[in-house]
Amino acid sequence: MKATRRTVMGGSLATVGLATAPGILHAQARPSAARTIRAVLAGDLATYDPIWTTADITAYHGAMVYDTLLGTDANNVPQPQMVKGWAISDDKLTYTFELRDGLRFHDKTPVTSADVVPSIRRWMVRSGQGQLLALRLADLSAVDDKTFRVRLKERFPLVLDMFATTCTPDLFIMRKREAETDPMQKIDQVVGSGPFIFNQNETKAGTQYVYDRNPDYVPRGEPPSGIAGGKVVKVDRVVFVNMPDAQTAVAALQSGEIDFYEIPPTDFLDQLQDDPAVTVENLYDLGSMGYIGINWLYPPFNNLKCRQALLHILNQEDMLRPTFGSPKWYRTCGSYFTCGSPMENDANTGWFKSGPNIALAKQLLAEGGYDGKPIVMLQATNIAYMANAATVMAEQLRGAGIKVDLQPMDWANVVARRANQSPPDQGGWNIFFTSASGLANSTPYMMAHLATIGTKGWFGWPTDEKNEQLRAQWMSAETLEQRKAIAAQIQENAWNIVPLLHFGQWIQPVAHRKNVTGWLHEPGLLVFWNVEKT
Amino acid sequence: MTGTIARRLASIVPVMCIVAICVFLLLHFAPGDPAAIMAGDNATPQNIAAIREKLGLDQPVWRQFVVWVGNLLRGDLGTSLFWGDSVTSLIAQRAEPTLSLALTTIALAVVVAITLGVVAAARVGSLIDRVVMGFAVMGFSVPVFVVGYLLIFVFAINLKWLPVQGYTPISEGVGPWLQHLVLPSFALGMAYVALIARITRATMLDVLAEDYMRTAKAKGVAAAPMLLKHALKNAAVPIVTVVGNGVALLIGGVVITETVFNIPGVGRLVVDAIARRDYPIIQGVIMVFSGVYVLVNLLVDLSYTLFDPRIRG
Repeated sequence: MKATRRTVMGGSLATVGLATAPGILHAQARPSAARTIRAVLAGDLATYDPIWTTADITAYHGAMVYDTLLGTDANNVPQPQMVKGWAISDDKLTYTFELRDGLRFHDKTPVTSADVVPSIRRWMVRSGQGQLLALRLADLSAVDDKTFRVRLKERFPLVLDMFATTCTPDLFIMRKREAETDPMQKIDQVVGSGPFIFNQNETKAGTQYVYDRNPDYVPRGEPPSGIAGGKVVKVDRVVFVNMPDAQTAVAALQSGEIDFYEIPPTDFLDQLQDDPAVTVENLYDLGSMGYIGINWLYPPFNNLKCRQALLHILNQEDMLRPTFGSPKWYRTCGSYFTCGSPMENDANTGWFKSGPNIALAKQLLAEGGYDGKPIVMLQATNIAYMANAATVMAEQLRGAGIKVDLQPMDWANVVARRANQSPPDQGGWNIFFTSASGLANSTPYMMAHLATIGTKGWFGWPTDEKNEQLRAQWMSAETLEQRKAIAAQIQENAWNIVPLLHFGQWIQPVAHRKNVTGWLHEPGLLVFWNVEKT
Repeated sequence: MTGTIARRLASIVPVMCIVAICVFLLLHFAPGDPAAIMAGDNATPQNIAAIREKLGLDQPVWRQFVVWVGNLLRGDLGTSLFWGDSVTSLIAQRAEPTLSLALTTIALAVVVAITLGVVAAARVGSLIDRVVMGFAVMGFSVPVFVVGYLLIFVFAINLKWLPVQGYTPISEGVGPWLQHLVLPSFALGMAYVALIARITRATMLDVLAEDYMRTAKAKGVAAAPMLLKHALKNAAVPIVTVVGNGVALLIGGVVITETVFNIPGVGRLVVDAIARRDYPIIQGVIMVFSGVYVLVNLLVDLSYTLFDPRIRG
């Protein structure tokens, strides 16, 4: 066939037609915009299995689709959710739970103890908290379809707290089929019994994740509080939109194209607060704690004196201000536990109260034998608070005579690099930056990074037997007063051995359209029940 | 002609082999660990090691390469490490927005740029010529994201004429589809317009200086037919070449434009994949983009025969 301009044009039009045909075939009715919430969250939903990963966004997805046995209320007290109630034996070694009526998975099958038991078992493998429970577990079994029992080897007062946790991975209940998946493998179907149904057909991985109201969900009768109480859904659909560009997300919120933005950068907060159609609100009351990982395996920070020197160099205010601007969004915090949480205390915080003391730091470095070799500091340049904190801290360290090899890279590279236990000049590191949720940092057991179990522990690999003994005591304590007293001892010890550093605490407010109301305040989880659009 | 096409198609094979080797090695020797990202921030080294083993990332690089090439030869681009979906299906899902953006940008750029180039050449040295060339310099100098944010600020936020972001499939109506493509196409097309306009002007000036143009003018041919029928057709080969080569510029721009305007296309897919080191997606998209670029240039070569009968022989 002879190629002419006409045939070329005709072929091009046919190609466009073929490319668009699938969209035409799959077009279907959707709930109206007035009954749909479009939310931009902090990142993309990279996996659908909320037990397999600790990523916050997957926990949000989990809270939409799955239900939990218990839920923490606004005061962080465990309350019944899927369970009707529980009984604790007199010796406090046996917990018997009974499931409430009306629980059904999205495939219409009833939720039974046969689903609950493997769900707990899988969670115990993946979760740091679950692993602590597993160590103390004598038996976990289904008594009948609605009753299951937990028997302990020793008293463990945190059973209810762990079943209600919002510190990832949360204990979401899955069907037996998914719950029996190898804990190291991801589940292959998303079928829960929660207040929303995952709409796989309308979901486009990497772009948008669609959740439709579950018409069969029976909420509890109590008013909502934290993630406890009735999960009453007041919209037809929620869409998690993946929108990586902050400026675009802010513009989309202001123009009404999205309803909710989880992490508006602080640079934009004043602009958003001035917009009459937008509300800036803090949903995560305990905020986040800036975390500085210190490598205990290699010089100079394998030396106690050199680690202690860091306490006297650090200036949190200078590290926070470049990122968060106004003090209304951040504060310095000398407590080992999250400021504002029940475990906050001021044991051994003289270094913090007196502020930086460079002369003392230099003396400690000299006593610790610092030899002037550059320390390797990992700087994630694509996350503003980490990039700024690293730049400022590098200058603070240089001011105290420490040579710093500041190595810029993206966050993906930091997470790979920080796992490397080689010497710093052979691919390892000395210091890296991240953050922990204020909730997770408010107790000594929720996060792996507060354990001091050497190379089997979290990045930095501190080793300290006393800290481990105190953590165990805290977990066995039965009253808040006992826990507070032990928390002060943990802190006293921690600021002596310096397993890690904090560079302050900040609040990341969310921004939403003013006509979208009813947001529940829960430190570890973002939930969309009770939210309505008027 | 058939022999030429066959030879050109055969030459694609070594090019794609070299691309495949480079892409794989660059990615696997670049730092980063998808298992660590996947596991989340609270994961222990043991968790990460277990995930790495499950994904086969603990295997030697050469073995991973052999597996990938074997799959590639069977037309299988692999499976996303994160979502578990096939890369082919993910690219297919994202093809429509990218194709729409690319085609509207090319159409817009070709129409605007050729018009500007022809007008500038016809009025060489005039104010119009200077304005057009000034615009061309600016279009080439200002980055796509700056143009994008400016367009959003003016036309979406202040004037509220067009949406800030997103994409509506053509199946939901041509109007909404076009509405979502206007700003991204302008942003993406700026550099492309500048490139084509400059080449059009330069080539047209060369052609307009030819003897046969003077003859046409002496014979009383009107200005419009002379420019469009005689001059532009003879200037077409270099212009078409630049349009084809500019596809590389367009592919790079698509990646940024889709991010700024939140268009769920192949560019966004690869940006997100790079951030979490989802190797199969990055490799698959680069292979597809490379294939498209090679094919477009093949089509450009073949299109010469439409404009210049001497090449047909």
